[in-house]
Amino acid sequence: MAPHKDTLFRSADMSLTQLYIANEIGREVVSALGELGCMDFRDLNSETSAFQRTFTQEIRRLDNVERQFRFFHMHMEKSSIPARSIYDFDENISATSKTEIDELVDRSQALEGRISSLNESYETLKKREVELTEWRWVLKEAGSFFDRARGQTEEIRRSIDEDDAPLLRDVEHSGPNGETQGERSFSVMNIGFVAGVIPRERMAAFERILWRTLRGNLYMNQSEIPEPIINPETNEGINKNVFIIFAHGKEIIAKIRKISESLGADLYSVDENSELRRDQIHEVNTRLGDLANVLRNTKQTLDAELTAIGRSLAAWMVIIKKEKAVYESLNKFSYDQARKTLIAEAWCPTNSLALVKSTLQDVNDRAGLSVPTIVNQIKTTKTPPTYVKTNKFTLGFQTIIDAYGTAKYTEINPGLPTVVTFPFLFAVMFGDFGHGIIMTLAALGMIYFEKPLSRGKLDELFSMAFFGRYIMLMMGVFSIYTGAIYCDVFSKPLNIFPSMWEWPEDFKAGDPVAAKRVEGYTYPFGMDWNWHDTENDLLFSNSYKMKLSILFGWAHMTYSLCLSYINARHFKTPIDIWGNFIPGMIFFQSIFGYLVFAIVYKWAVDWYSIGKSPPGLLNMLIYMFLSPGTIEEQLYPGQAPVQVILLLLAVVQVPIMLFLKPFYLRWEHNKARAMGYRGIGESTRVSALDEDDDEGQTPNGRESFGDDEEGVAMITEGITEGEHEEFEFSEIMIHQVIHTIEFCLACVSHTASYLRLWALSLAHQRLSIVLWDMTISVGFSQGGGAVGVIGIVILFYLWFVLTVFVLCIMEGTSAMLHSLRLHWVEAMSKHFLGDGVAFQPFSFKVLLEEEPVDL
Amino acid sequence: MANGWSVWIGLLVIAVFSVVSWFAAPKGENQTVWRSSLILAACACYLLWLITFLAQWHPLIVPRRSDLRPEIINHERSL
Repeated sequence: MAPHKDTLFRSADMSLTQLYIANEIGREVVSALGELGCMDFRDLNSETSAFQRTFTQEIRRLDNVERQFRFFHMHMEKSSIPARSIYDFDENISATSKTEIDELVDRSQALEGRISSLNESYETLKKREVELTEWRWVLKEAGSFFDRARGQTEEIRRSIDEDDAPLLRDVEHSGPNGETQGERSFSVMNIGFVAGVIPRERMAAFERILWRTLRGNLYMNQSEIPEPIINPETNEGINKNVFIIFAHGKEIIAKIRKISESLGADLYSVDENSELRRDQIHEVNTRLGDLANVLRNTKQTLDAELTAIGRSLAAWMVIIKKEKAVYESLNKFSYDQARKTLIAEAWCPTNSLALVKSTLQDVNDRAGLSVPTIVNQIKTTKTPPTYVKTNKFTLGFQTIIDAYGTAKYTEINPGLPTVVTFPFLFAVMFGDFGHGIIMTLAALGMIYFEKPLSRGKLDELFSMAFFGRYIMLMMGVFSIYTGAIYCDVFSKPLNIFPSMWEWPEDFKAGDPVAAKRVEGYTYPFGMDWNWHDTENDLLFSNSYKMKLSILFGWAHMTYSLCLSYINARHFKTPIDIWGNFIPGMIFFQSIFGYLVFAIVYKWAVDWYSIGKSPPGLLNMLIYMFLSPGTIEEQLYPGQAPVQVILLLLAVVQVPIMLFLKPFYLRWEHNKARAMGYRGIGESTRVSALDEDDDEGQTPNGRESFGDDEEGVAMITEGITEGEHEEFEFSEIMIHQVIHTIEFCLACVSHTASYLRLWALSLAHQRLSIVLWDMTISVGFSQGGGAVGVIGIVILFYLWFVLTVFVLCIMEGTSAMLHSLRLHWVEAMSKHFLGDGVAFQPFSFKVLLEEEPVDL
Repeated sequence: MANGWSVWIGLLVIAVFSVVSWFAAPKGENQTVWRSSLILAACACYLLWLITFLAQWHPLIVPRRSDLRPEIINHERSL
């Protein structure tokens, strides 16, 4: 086969290439190939575990650097320093040399040390500051406690000394009394106290525990700190309370200390002497001032460092990610100790080989190495991976296909017709001019704001819609068309052309009237708008849409079946044409092709003018099977023999499909054996011919590897292993029986399955009519006046929101799923082999798309 | 205006469109996608139009309704 361009029609031709790379430039070569992104490296050390591979050390080192980068990023987030976005850099960030990477590694190491030491000291200082702040609060609050408590020492004392003291005593009562005894010191009374700070939510528990353990032998005072205290470790504010507890006796004080510490309170020393306390406050304030200075400086330095890092962190992350991927690929290579060369094997699109070679030449020239990198093409019987080149537009459609299965190497890619058939079948179900416009506008919006949207973070549903924006565009455009054909704009008619129906002139309001046909005139585009709101429009549109579904199903399946012919031609398996395609096609056409013919024929005949009653097609089809040869209502003269012949034709195809292919294969196999072919070559040839769903090898798979050099050193291990199966007649027979039964039954069930086009389009149309009737139409019937106007405005918004959410999003999703099913099951079962292996090139672009650097 | 000939005229239009899109499709690596999509879309659209046209060519039932008022019909006709 002549080399051709890689198109969406079938997957690209692949070559298994072998590279001999001088050890010194291994990294550079792989890095350059990663930028190209067209080599799928095979793992040549699959027996070796990840730890025993050559470049494990390097990968570990880079892992560490990545950890350091994450550490920087974490700190930047903590101090909310923005990193320069990845999109502000050039498209292509890469390290040119190994020394650059080494520098980066060293630098990152040094920076990590610096950042962590700065951060440590910052945190220590911050902790100190918090402590001082808390102390200041305690001093301040405790001071006021003391001032108040001093006035009440007598009361405290009494309440502690006398157990029978009333629990509630009028404070005012002791007020004037306290003033005089106020100067008595607490120490004289042998009353000790504990002051500290405790989180507010623990306060209640704290009080309860103290009360229970000390049996009420304490006097406690507390107040809330108005501002939350910031914890430097978590950066979260906690509301805290200052408390001061007075109690009698050393043991009790010690107990209180223990309890408060165990509950997470911080205790601070407070002097009861107000002079000393004032000094303490003063000292704390100065220390806080100094600390704030130091803190500011540290913070500034830290922020400066982080900002400097942030300026290039994203680029560094990309570089290290690429570098790591390079070493992971290098680990797949085998290393020749004696010749100091790396040997790699990779699948590569044949059309990209020239590009690969020139790239390798460039790398070689730059390195100034005399030993060239050798690129060999290896002949192999392995199945090449399937690579379909897509672009922005076709990617979404191809993803639909790939979600079902990977196409066999160079088989017809159903993604190509799907570009049209998927949105079109969707539109048949979604047909509404107005809804189509909404969908088109949404898709155009997403395409217009493609760049900003692709960078932002989207939620799941929206990101799905965004990924399929071109599918949505096509769906919207086709929906506009089908809506125009169905004559539906938000459930209202679209009267472009004069109607083919005329209402009579003389009738009384409320009389049932029937329209008259304008002679010799058929509505030229789509449904006549006069069918809208009639009593029997469902009768007409059901008959129309049901037949429409059958016709489209027939067209879609015939198209798909034809693709299997092209596949058989391509894989040079004529037996698939004679044993599968032709009998299958005759079977399908003689039943459902005939049905389609009957539908169109019935439409084309003017039954009333020739004075006959139109025959029912459903009965015709049923009696064609039940009692062949008898016709109850004639569709056309000579119908009976035609139907009998067609039925016989269909029945005869079943044994042909069943036996032709298996027996042909057995005959061929026996012939080959009789001629004396044995061993591996022979088995290859036979199994190449029994190509079908379970077989990987194709004859042309070998032919496409042209210009092979002589004496290629084949180091490829196990290149022929497990690819060929022994010829087993029974297996082929069973397979063919299943295929035949499946095909014949599927013809019936799949045709019926296309009736979902009718059902969903009916549902969509009815739903939009109901929505209109229940919202806006209610508003119109309210009459004028301010209430009516406001009502219409509100109802309009209701109608619009429901139209978008229910009719466009919900109904659209369901129509899309049904269209998806029609492609996966009904169409692709006719031709899709789908046992391919996906091509996974080593590509930096893919790598960064899969694990984006989200800065 | 529109009678049985429309079907063949439409077919001719689509055939011409298909031929034109085959040759006028932008060259380059997306040529196949252009050709396939344009022709397939034209055929699908034609098919839908054709089915709708044929269904109304010799209709077996006529629209009926009983919520009409003569004034509206006569008013529409005078427009």
